[in-house]
Amino acid sequence: MNFERVVFGFFTILALTFNLVFVIGEIDNPSHHDVWILTIAILVNLIATGLKLGDRSQIGALLLAASLVADLLLISARIFWIVAESDSATGPTAESMATIVSLAAGALAANVVSAIILIGDALMSRR
Amino acid sequence: MVVLRHMRRPVFALIVVYAVGITGMALIPGTGVDGNPEKMSLFHAFYFFTYTATTTGFGEIPNAFSDEQRLWAIFCLYMGAIAWLYAIGSIIRLVQNPHFTTAVNEHSFARGVRRLTDPFVIICGFGDTGSLLARGLSDHSIRATVLDRDPERIKAFAVRDYRVRMLGLCAQPDVPRHLIDAGVRQPMCKAVVALTNEEDTNRQIAIVAKLLNPAVKVISRSTSERHCKHLSSLRDVQVVNPFAVFAELLDMAIVTPLQHNLNSWLVGVPGTRLGYPLTVPCGEWILCGYGRMGQELHRRLVCHGIHVVVIDPDVDECVAPGRVVRGFADHDTLREAGVEQAAGIVAGTDSDSDNLGILVCVQHLNTDAFTVVRQNRHENQLAFDAAKADLILQSSLTTARRILKTLISPLINELIDYLHGKDQPTKEIINRLQAAVGERTPHLFRIGITSEEALAVMEYLDTGMQLVLGDLFLDPGKLDEALPCVPLVIRRASGLVMLPGDTETVNRGDGILFCGTVGSERLLRATLNNPYTLHQLTTGVEEPRGYFFQWLDRKLSSRHGLS
Repeated sequence: MNFERVVFGFFTILALTFNLVFVIGEIDNPSHHDVWILTIAILVNLIATGLKLGDRSQIGALLLAASLVADLLLISARIFWIVAESDSATGPTAESMATIVSLAAGALAANVVSAIILIGDALMSRR
Repeated sequence: MVVLRHMRRPVFALIVVYAVGITGMALIPGTGVDGNPEKMSLFHAFYFFTYTATTTGFGEIPNAFSDEQRLWAIFCLYMGAIAWLYAIGSIIRLVQNPHFTTAVNEHSFARGVRRLTDPFVIICGFGDTGSLLARGLSDHSIRATVLDRDPERIKAFAVRDYRVRMLGLCAQPDVPRHLIDAGVRQPMCKAVVALTNEEDTNRQIAIVAKLLNPAVKVISRSTSERHCKHLSSLRDVQVVNPFAVFAELLDMAIVTPLQHNLNSWLVGVPGTRLGYPLTVPCGEWILCGYGRMGQELHRRLVCHGIHVVVIDPDVDECVAPGRVVRGFADHDTLREAGVEQAAGIVAGTDSDSDNLGILVCVQHLNTDAFTVVRQNRHENQLAFDAAKADLILQSSLTTARRILKTLISPLINELIDYLHGKDQPTKEIINRLQAAVGERTPHLFRIGITSEEALAVMEYLDTGMQLVLGDLFLDPGKLDEALPCVPLVIRRASGLVMLPGDTETVNRGDGILFCGTVGSERLLRATLNNPYTLHQLTTGVEEPRGYFFQWLDRKLSSRHGLS
């Protein structure tokens, strides 16, 4: 067992699961989606991205790219949330909620790609 | 443009007919919606004429016609329909014109060839040998452009299923224009292979190709001594004489059976098992057929002090030393030649039915004899397989294999030459190959230590460290085992290194020929480009990936250093 692999896999999969936790629920129902979960998801994603920096292999480059896509989409979703909240007193409307969750769902796709690459790499090395 | 030139008259006829019809329709008075006399507008006249001339016929539009108009409409219909038939007929005649089709095919072929960006080979002549060579190239994902003057062969070529796209044209391959169309001047053209049935055409192709592009490699098949000599005098032209190749193979089988077995296995003679060399007996031999191939074989056999009896209908006693039996090889002549006591029989006539007949005869008369048979036509393969000869020499297959190896791994011939007469190293390499590849089909591949093919290795060498060959092909999945592949030859600036050992250092610019499995090539190439796998294989330690883990690793090791 390799300590590095454990930490790396932990953060990659944690990023994926937090993303899923936020996305799950009705797409336009604000009570199904929590802003705290979104913020934590962004934080975990950023940590996972940081761990991927500096890897010189092909797979490392692909993992970093997928992670950057997820960051970009999640941060866009968070900014959208802030803008939507400032417009109304009661929080985001159903329409803006749908956009926010769509963006997060896009990030989820990127995180799934990350996880698949990680598993594929582990299986390829057969150790 | 040639289309427009041929279409000038029909187009002119159409324009005149349209003009007459439309003008007449626009001038003839008709009746409007309200019952007042009204002439048809020019646009409506054109609309009417268009659907009438093409025999579509929507009816009387926009209003019901007057009788005058109907009279003119009849005229328009016949005139327009005839003009259109004439025009369409002209187009069809043009399309069916063989010269026109040839011009279009040449044009699209040349355009396809110009767009090729991968290395390719020009094959001139798509007979048995050409098609076997194309198949072999396709198996190695190398493209080819094919020229043959027989349209049937090009049609057969077009329906073949290749792994990579191959381009074919029905054209005289020795015409310079066609060779240029096939891409002889393109930098990606690796070689021109002349395989037509005419010796003169092959020579012409070789000379023209050399003149058009002096850098291109030319390989030509030739069976006549005169042409062989002539071609060999050209620089960088390789001549493959199937009969000489046969004789060489038989020679090798007699003198160095181990090397012959290795060679057959590597160049993919079907049914060869590694490590089971033939044992060729040295008693009296019978040679049926004393043509070009028979003479080559006779010379080689006599060289080794083997007593040879020749059976041939028109051979001179004085030409062939040794005993000669005149006549076609059959039951009687074979017995006369002493088949019951013969150690080996060569059925080497240029007729497959004769050769098969000789084999059947021999199997009746002498079951122990070593049989060598010449197969002339590739399509008779199954019959020859069933005849169970000890050695089958097939002209097209041998030639195609020889050329393919020259194109793909020229080093393999050097290796076989190097092993000539060295039984101990041959046995060792055979053992290693058996352990690595076993019963699977051998896969030859070459890797270059360059930044395109082996980025991680180049980076590793840039740090000034030494890399040994043995580390390179360790299995990244198991670490203590090697991949199923064996390095055969290293080509470097200082010369060739035959059968390099595991401790041989790897340098920049080396080209290494491996023999292994397809899967081993994939894993090896992955190692060459992945710095982490390479580091782990050379040191056994997994290097931390990414800045954070590298920093953590340094922290931990310095703390260990302090305590």
